[in-house]
Amino acid sequence: MKNFKIMLNGILKENPTFVLLLGMCPTLATTTSAVNGLGMGVATMFVLICSNVFISLLKNLIPDGVRIPCYIIVIASFVTILQMVMQAYVPDLYQTLGIFIPLIVVNCIILGRAEAFAAKNNVLASLCDGVGIGIGFTLALTLLGMVRELLGNGSFFGIQLLPSSMSMLVFVLAPGAFITLGLLIAIVNKIKSSKSANA
Amino acid sequence: MKKLKSNITNMVLSLSLISVVAAALLAWVNVVTNGPIEKINAETLANGIKQVIIGDSDIPFTVSEPWEKDGFVFYQVEDSDNNLLGTAVKSTDPNAFGGNLTVLVGFNQDGVILGYEVLEHAETPGLGANAVTWFKQSTEQATKEQSKVVTLLLGAPEKAGNHNIVGMNPADGGFTVSKDGGKIDAITASTITSRAFLRAVQNAYNALYSKTADGTTSATTQN
Repeated sequence: MKNFKIMLNGILKENPTFVLLLGMCPTLATTTSAVNGLGMGVATMFVLICSNVFISLLKNLIPDGVRIPCYIIVIASFVTILQMVMQAYVPDLYQTLGIFIPLIVVNCIILGRAEAFAAKNNVLASLCDGVGIGIGFTLALTLLGMVRELLGNGSFFGIQLLPSSMSMLVFVLAPGAFITLGLLIAIVNKIKSSKSANA
Repeated sequence: MKKLKSNITNMVLSLSLISVVAAALLAWVNVVTNGPIEKINAETLANGIKQVIIGDSDIPFTVSEPWEKDGFVFYQVEDSDNNLLGTAVKSTDPNAFGGNLTVLVGFNQDGVILGYEVLEHAETPGLGANAVTWFKQSTEQATKEQSKVVTLLLGAPEKAGNHNIVGMNPADGGFTVSKDGGKIDAITASTITSRAFLRAVQNAYNALYSKTADGTTSATTQN
């Protein structure tokens, strides 16, 4: 039950994108379409779960003075392994996601969760935290990608819904990412505040 | 187990140990995946050569030993009677939006483009990455499809401009984006990618017909 709570916490209360505002670089850069957002979210979730579990396992072996370099080595190793394995066995997916993969190393969500959670909790709790935060990140990126793709390109997961004359290109470009993210955060905050007012 | 103290011996030992284990793991994964990655790259190239010269038809063909000149790689494709079907040229432009853009372009004997494949790129997904299909879409294909309901409400879709380079001959001129006075529509919001792509194709053509490469590019310094 406690672990389920940890998982839910990552999806809602501490959603990395809408609440913690972590990992903004990949969030803004990769959500040009819903599929891209989803792919980046899933790839990040994989690395996050692996690094959380391993750092939680190793936490007593790592002296505080060198913890950050140690975490970075663990994270970068997993990202490189993921990249090589994808390139070798799922080349199609690698073609689509290839350039996002190295970005995961510098995603501060992963280092942030290693430092704030995995280094202080047991393996199972860290695993659940990784799953929760990962799902929260994936959902946020997919939502952002969906809105940007629909407004900027008139399509939904690649299916054309609106004529091209109606699409606003700015939403696929960088400014659109900021505008969409800002509006989504505003909506999330509104929902949250009305909920707490009721309670 | 108690947490190790942050004294210098512990820190050096712990960091070194983790680095060594990580390096060993990476080396092992590299050895395991190296074979499949090379195989896939070779397959992609072989498929690309077939695609850019013959397309989807099933005629038997042989690919000559590749040769290299000034950083361009050439593959001659012949049919079973040793008639030349065309030459595929691998060409890289270093100044695309995300760095190197490598294309494989097929030319017939007159220099008409038979097809192309983007072999390697790091362009923005959703924008520059569209180069993979953009320059071989006919105008009809490029005109975005829309549902009948939308057509009923808002009218027929806008007709797209011409950006199909298959069947063009770079020798005819105008082989630049329309923004630069050429005949080809650039990818929407990706003019840099489009310019790099067309430069790579033009340079491939120039190299094949042994003209000096375009002075504004550094394609000849590639290796």
